[in-house]
Amino acid sequence: MSILVNNKTKVICQGVTGTQATFHIRRSLDYGTKVVGGVTPGKGGETHLGLPVFNTVKEAKETTGANASVMYVPAPYVKSAFKEAVEAELDLVVCIADGVPIKDMIEIKAMLKDSPTKLIGPNTPGIITPGEARLGIFPENIHHRGNIGVVSRSSTLTYEAVLETTRAGEGQSTVIGLGDDMLIGIDFIDAIERFNQDKDTKAIVMIGQLGGTFEEVAAKYYKDLVSKKPIIGFVAGNAVPFGHKMGYAGDIISKGHISAQDKKDAMEDAGIIVVDNINDIHKELAQLAS
Amino acid sequence: MNIHEYQAKKILSQYGIKIPKGGIAYTPLEAKKVASKVSFRGPWMLKAQIQSGARNKGYFLEKGSGRRGGIRLIKSRRDIEKNAEQMLGSTLVTIQTGPKGKLVSRIYVEAYNKIEHIFYAGMVIDRVKAEVTLLVASTKDEDISQIAINNPEKILKINLDLNKEVSAEQVKKVMEFLKLKPKSSRSLETYINGMHRAFIDYDATMIETNPVGVMKNGELVALDAKMSFDDNALYRHPEISRLQDDYEASERELQASKYRFGYSEFNGSIGCIVNGDGIALAAMDALRAKGIGTACFLNVKGGVDKDKIASGIKIIMTNPRVEGILINILGGFLRCNLIADGVISAASEVGLNVPLVIRFEGTNKEEAKEILERSKLPLIMADTMEDAINKLVKAMEEND
Repeated sequence: MSILVNNKTKVICQGVTGTQATFHIRRSLDYGTKVVGGVTPGKGGETHLGLPVFNTVKEAKETTGANASVMYVPAPYVKSAFKEAVEAELDLVVCIADGVPIKDMIEIKAMLKDSPTKLIGPNTPGIITPGEARLGIFPENIHHRGNIGVVSRSSTLTYEAVLETTRAGEGQSTVIGLGDDMLIGIDFIDAIERFNQDKDTKAIVMIGQLGGTFEEVAAKYYKDLVSKKPIIGFVAGNAVPFGHKMGYAGDIISKGHISAQDKKDAMEDAGIIVVDNINDIHKELAQLAS
Repeated sequence: MNIHEYQAKKILSQYGIKIPKGGIAYTPLEAKKVASKVSFRGPWMLKAQIQSGARNKGYFLEKGSGRRGGIRLIKSRRDIEKNAEQMLGSTLVTIQTGPKGKLVSRIYVEAYNKIEHIFYAGMVIDRVKAEVTLLVASTKDEDISQIAINNPEKILKINLDLNKEVSAEQVKKVMEFLKLKPKSSRSLETYINGMHRAFIDYDATMIETNPVGVMKNGELVALDAKMSFDDNALYRHPEISRLQDDYEASERELQASKYRFGYSEFNGSIGCIVNGDGIALAAMDALRAKGIGTACFLNVKGGVDKDKIASGIKIIMTNPRVEGILINILGGFLRCNLIADGVISAASEVGLNVPLVIRFEGTNKEEAKEILERSKLPLIMADTMEDAINKLVKAMEEND
């Protein structure tokens, strides 16, 4: 078991003929991911990496039965690519692009509201269920099948967290990078909810960072859960001084300046085991196991 | 990206928001000329154009700049040149600039507007709801920074629909909250819609007008304005990109932004090269736990251009504060071998005079290690971030 993706997930790639997509889709195919086709407007009918290429997501879905998309399209085109995926009612879209304008994300979030489609990202390494499916840019060699669910806002710290599970002699059920941006698709709550229901996940590693209130909101949700799996948490950004900034509006929306320590406190208060150094996660995991 | 008050006011005025009559001055003489143009008799406001809040409570580092802050009410025409001279070319320190302050290279000269009372109006993005949010508060008794911390319930938040004008009910709610008189109603509607349209049209991430003045006839006037824009959307707004004030950023920050890398400077001694903000923050935290500060970090993100990466690494290598370099790369999109090539190319150009520890993980890690071994540069390889930091600390001690 796993969450969101497994060896039955049929994946199409939007922007498949691009350089980065080619590099990473080839690796995902080698990994065993069920990639069934690609979409590049104007290149329909061609074959790329042995996959059929379609002009639209709708066509690709109708022909291949795909239910998920991983998109490597550049940031300025994400909004229109995503609109296609939503209209085709795919279950899951993973958006890798970094630099999607916030206004475009506001519109994308509005599209998501009445839609069955779930979005991971943007600005994310994606999602990987070890041994089954890789949608994104993960270095696959660091992942091993196992029972720890990993969810992280920071891309690079996702890898660090995975390496920590390995150091503890554990593997991962599924690893999700939520994305580094101000506005993102699924958040910690979605991930925790799913990991909590997944019978192969026995504990969760949650990596937060400075900025926004995603961690506080998730901590509140976790605190109120009746039956819950243990979470080991880390929040990056304690050493950042109260920085240069302009205006107060950002502080007001988050009720005063929120530090990494405030986030840690909220998580600890909710019963999450919080470590100060990310390289201590493996110790806590070992402790849980014994 | 941020712009100056006078530039933000100009944008807002294009959306029907009333602003005081004003003009920009780079010299004391210009200030005098502008002053007589905007008001015959005064009083006038002289406002230092640096990108920071609380300029009125700030102070100038230079002794000759007088005791007054960066916002000055001038009642007599003959005081204009003197005050302009004190402000121009001086360094203004506020609670938001840090102790180094910011150089004042231009001042905005405005006609003083007589007002009955003031309030705060801001607009920002609510990250959780993914909507644009209007924030208003009465600032009669307490300034907004205090209200935000002590009495956040005294701030009204109204989420706005991206594609709609503000509704009559929403205007009414703001009117009641701020206890405005009915004669301000129309002006308020124009004000909110103007802010909202400007916010959307220009891909803003923040607009703040603190304060908004309420005049005797009920009309609202923006007495100050700040605007920040989404860097990722600047490609759609060349007219905003042109407003970038290079004085506001350091030379190295400018260089890094040219390559679209993230770059931040602090007061410590370690230069970090990473490929994500998260890993940068985690590295800073781990360094601090050892009692060591970070001098700067460069986030090369998912860079794929070898030459750009080399140029980025040079920025770190040539920062005089840097006494040790930590390269911590967890390659996914970014391929480790590109960083290895970049390090060699940068070191061959500017030399490598401080200890450099590298930790690679992920995409093309082995290839990257081989490249570095072949280069014969005195680099230290590490397996984990912890290991990298320990090795760097040791190497720096030996280097002393």
